[in-house]
Amino acid sequence: MTVTPTLTETRTHGRAENPTEDPAENRAEVQAKIGIRDVGKVFRIRGADRPFTAVDGVDLDVRDGEFLTLVGPSGCGKSTLLDLIAGLTAPTTGRILIDGRAVTGPGLDRGIVFQQYALFPWRTALANIEFGLEAKAVPKKERRERARHYLDLVGLTGFEHRYPHELSGGMRQRVAIARSLAFDPDVLLMDEPFAALDAQTRESLQEELLRIWEKTSKTIVFITHGIDEAVYLGQRVAVMTSRPGRIKKVIDIEFDSREGDLRADPRFGAYRHEIWTLLRDEVAAAQEQERTIG
Amino acid sequence: MADTLAVPGGSGARTLAAGDPEEAAGAATGTGPPGPAPASTRGDAPTADDRATNFFRVAAGTRFPALARPALLLRRTAALALLAALWEVLPRIGVVDRVFAPPLSEVLVAWYDLLVGGQLVEHFQASLIRSLSGFALAIALTIPLGLAIGWYRPVADFLSPVLELFRNTSAVALLPVFILIFGLGEPSKIIFVFYACAWPILLNTISGVRTVEPLLVKSARSMGLGPFRLFQKVILPAAVPTVFTGIRLAGAYSILVLLFAEMVGAKAGLGYLIQDAQFSFRIPDMYAGIITISVLGLLFNLLLVTVERRFSTWRTTS
Repeated sequence: MTVTPTLTETRTHGRAENPTEDPAENRAEVQAKIGIRDVGKVFRIRGADRPFTAVDGVDLDVRDGEFLTLVGPSGCGKSTLLDLIAGLTAPTTGRILIDGRAVTGPGLDRGIVFQQYALFPWRTALANIEFGLEAKAVPKKERRERARHYLDLVGLTGFEHRYPHELSGGMRQRVAIARSLAFDPDVLLMDEPFAALDAQTRESLQEELLRIWEKTSKTIVFITHGIDEAVYLGQRVAVMTSRPGRIKKVIDIEFDSREGDLRADPRFGAYRHEIWTLLRDEVAAAQEQERTIG
Repeated sequence: MADTLAVPGGSGARTLAAGDPEEAAGAATGTGPPGPAPASTRGDAPTADDRATNFFRVAAGTRFPALARPALLLRRTAALALLAALWEVLPRIGVVDRVFAPPLSEVLVAWYDLLVGGQLVEHFQASLIRSLSGFALAIALTIPLGLAIGWYRPVADFLSPVLELFRNTSAVALLPVFILIFGLGEPSKIIFVFYACAWPILLNTISGVRTVEPLLVKSARSMGLGPFRLFQKVILPAAVPTVFTGIRLAGAYSILVLLFAEMVGAKAGLGYLIQDAQFSFRIPDMYAGIITISVLGLLFNLLLVTVERRFSTWRTTS
């Protein structure tokens, strides 16, 4: 079952004070920031007689400035979907649109943050952040200034000249986030960025990411396998089916207020339970698949 | 939010303490930064190569602090002192024949005479020029070749069979061929050294290019880097430490194999000195030549290890 969210659906600003808004107002918003239209990706695997379908018939719109989280059982093609949006691989079927234009390859209008940071170990924190700016041919002086600015933004002032191996996991991920923000992409694609961090670091980075998102108004697609994380961060949570991955349901996350401990809000528990129920069957199906494939 | 900002700062200070050179020993035994993250990146996982490199690195790193710690210095020089003592005493008390193995003091006197007489400098110079020429030639020619093979699949497919064949052909087996083609003069010896040095550099360069962390490539590609920039900004810097491992190995070979060439046909060089001294029964001179070549090898390796360290500081992960 595929539920396609449409723009006429009630749009809610999860973070806003006023959760009620006139739906008619949203019709003026013609075009989604990211449009995923009936996208499928099939891989050919050497030695296997059948091709491998990672995702199939995915339909999803991400609005400009939205924070969308994507959850699904392991191996459901979440990362494949992110690679497709990033333009690192081309879809087998369907189209991916950014601002209405089809994605043909990677570009600096989209930034990716990986779970394993992917920092260049021979570059200092500052030089890592400058990397995307070099690709964009920004002059050296301006590069330096912007890199410093984003290092400050992620709270790492004073760590400019540290190499990645001299930083903790959380700090490395901050550098990676700063690197992706520095070349000022419209869209930030995050592939389980906090999964390798300890619980405390993860929570503080989640809060900071929300702060940065509010400050920079990026469109964020955030993959996670944590239901709590998905509910906490997302304005909407897209739940995927087991392989081949499809969008099972998209849930709007609305809180009256984000003050205080959001996780203690009864609605948080309700959302959590709803997603957990949706995922339970998919996880079982995914495990069944793994068993039969061996 | 202020609280949130304070936390990373605190944890950062802790981490950096662990990464401090003073604490390097602690970091090496696993007192890394908190959290499971650092060990999980592929770049941190030590390969056999890394371990070998680290071994040399540790050895070189502790050489200088050792001077400050007498106990360690004593432990490190004890074996050498014992060897010297045995060399001096055993021939004198007649355990070994002092004609074939003269005491160390006689060897050192012979060494000094050769130095003062100018022969040692002459031979040393001849050897060094040959070694360095072959070595430099190997660096200049095989690094670009290795990069091409590692980066372009078609080049690899084309050259691999030939390279596999030659790789398994000993340089020593080819020396007669080199002499036939290039004569007994300098070119054949330099080519011989070049041939022996080329393999470790070539193979390490290829592996350096091929084993670049795929995630780094993916990350760079996601930032819109084309093939050329990707090679320049990611593949090359990532391969540098592995290439240097090859260069260091080649440095050792350059001296080891040259000796052989100089023993087969030469009128100068430390290999010639050793061979000639043996033929004319100047046994102390022979040992003087051997000691010189050992010290030369040692110093050369030390130099290369230092250079290698300079170029790959970022790889010294816990």
